[in-house]
Amino acid sequence: MDFPQNMSMEEAFALAEAEAKLNQALSESKSRFENAVLPNRLNEDWRFGRPHKYAAALAEQLLSDTPSQGEAEVEHAGEAAVPVNADDEDLRQTEMLMPTIGSDALLGMHLERFGNGYALYIEEDTNEPIVIRYKTNSLYTPSTYIMVAPGVKAHIIEQHYGSEKGTIFATRNIQVAEGAELKVELTPYGCARSMVITNIQNMGGKVAHYSHYFACDWAREETLAEIYTPGSDIQLFSANHLDHHQVIDQHTRQIHHVGNATSNLLYKNVVDDSATAIFAGNIYVAPGAHHTDAYQSNRNMLLSEKATVHSLPGLEILADKVRCSHGSASAPMDEEQLFYLLSRGIPRADALNLVAYGFLQDVVDKFNRS
Amino acid sequence: MSLIIRNLSARVKDGAQILNGINLEIPKGEVHAVMGPNGSGKSTLSKVLCGHPDYEVISGSAELDGQDLFAMTVDERSRAGLFLAFQYPVEVPGVTNANFMRAALQARLPKGEELDAVNFYKTMRSKMATLGMDTKFTARAVNEGFSGGEKKRNDILQMMMLEPSYAILDETDSGLDVDALRIVSDGVNAMRAPYRSFLVITHYKRLLDYIKPDVVHVLYKGQIVRTAGYELVEHIEQNGFDFLKSEE
Repeated sequence: MDFPQNMSMEEAFALAEAEAKLNQALSESKSRFENAVLPNRLNEDWRFGRPHKYAAALAEQLLSDTPSQGEAEVEHAGEAAVPVNADDEDLRQTEMLMPTIGSDALLGMHLERFGNGYALYIEEDTNEPIVIRYKTNSLYTPSTYIMVAPGVKAHIIEQHYGSEKGTIFATRNIQVAEGAELKVELTPYGCARSMVITNIQNMGGKVAHYSHYFACDWAREETLAEIYTPGSDIQLFSANHLDHHQVIDQHTRQIHHVGNATSNLLYKNVVDDSATAIFAGNIYVAPGAHHTDAYQSNRNMLLSEKATVHSLPGLEILADKVRCSHGSASAPMDEEQLFYLLSRGIPRADALNLVAYGFLQDVVDKFNRS
Repeated sequence: MSLIIRNLSARVKDGAQILNGINLEIPKGEVHAVMGPNGSGKSTLSKVLCGHPDYEVISGSAELDGQDLFAMTVDERSRAGLFLAFQYPVEVPGVTNANFMRAALQARLPKGEELDAVNFYKTMRSKMATLGMDTKFTARAVNEGFSGGEKKRNDILQMMMLEPSYAILDETDSGLDVDALRIVSDGVNAMRAPYRSFLVITHYKRLLDYIKPDVVHVLYKGQIVRTAGYELVEHIEQNGFDFLKSEE
């Protein structure tokens, strides 16, 4: 290790210590991937997710000779966007250290295919949303890195297009500095398989994250939102309309490492036909993280007797003086709402659509206001 | 042309019978009031007429301008000219007032014809001004987060936009302060016309001081037991509904 000439002894020790910690973490991460087993039914994080069917199929695709190929585009980013390069060891290490929610083995396979996507270093307010677009008609494993500088306001839209039923397995690392405000929209579209692992690290900023999966046969989303600095705020939203045999399997962690911070989650699904929605969320409040405000709500509207919902909200609170709540509600469409629309002469089919649309639009409205 | 109800008996689905042979005729151009003690069946009558799924008709009939009301679906009844201002208007999250009204008005147009959006917003804003409503309400979700009074005004706004032939106001005065009561009543009075009737359901004289009824009915134990002019309102105000018990 070379220390800069003007570095004090204390700074040199701190740097050496940080580097030792990183090496230790990377070493542990390596063994994490080496020892990881494919998701299976005994894995609590894949409970109800039919891993023998969906995770196995994705793993088979990732381990096959099929190259990772797709198009990556970015708009309105100016000089903030840098294409991810397989030689970028820092970004590769960031992905190695990413936590997952039961998918270490799959992340390890993603790492093996590392080397595409975008890193956004945002140091100025965005006038219009930066759009990142990943497209494929086969298999694509992009990575996105978003770093928002202190006090900067940014809006990012990440779109995934799986034309002709492609598979997109994306990882996303998001870091938000003190006083920054970030809005992120994630919209996978038309994928046979869509998997997204997101790690948000908030160091005193405000983050609002919204996901909307459209026409994807199977989607697995793991979102780990971590708060490291008092004053941070994270809002997680998702709204999806599922039909046919579509499956959405969403897992979240709201992790409060420190107190005096807030997080909120609202995930809603309209589930029709033989579709399945799975939600498993957890709010973790670390010891000493007092004055935490954290909420979590999962709501599902079932439009068919064959529709299935598994909802597992959870809390793990190891501090006092916190305000936390979690809730889940899954039910058919509210008959009184439907009657109200019908009583104004709106035909039944239109009324059903309008109530279902409104159920989800409520999430979009809250995201827009956040 | 009238709303004619004959021998109407109805019950809560799989539950108690509430209406026990109601007979009522409301000709076009008239305002009829229905009063009665709690539990007499006033709200049930309004919901049965509109086709609420919690109730079922046991016997009897209802005609709306000669059409069999009970042969129509809920939405068809509305498009045929029937309107219910709810006692407890429902919140519909995510659906803006503007989109809601557009859908309701679009449903009244011939197939293939599109609602004139500019004219629609102009009309809606104008009606909102009449009711003292902020135009920002067009972009707010239907009744979501509205106060009780705002919800009632919103229902009256819908009535003014849809221009029904027969409007049932189910305890529209409940939850309204004096000023809101006057504004809402002014809105209703402005809609009185020879081609429109109102059935005003209320417990109290105060609403009927603003919306003067032509005919007053008393509903008791699921039957119309008394029909008279406005003097019946005065009688009930002074004596309550106890006289009904003594007549049993």
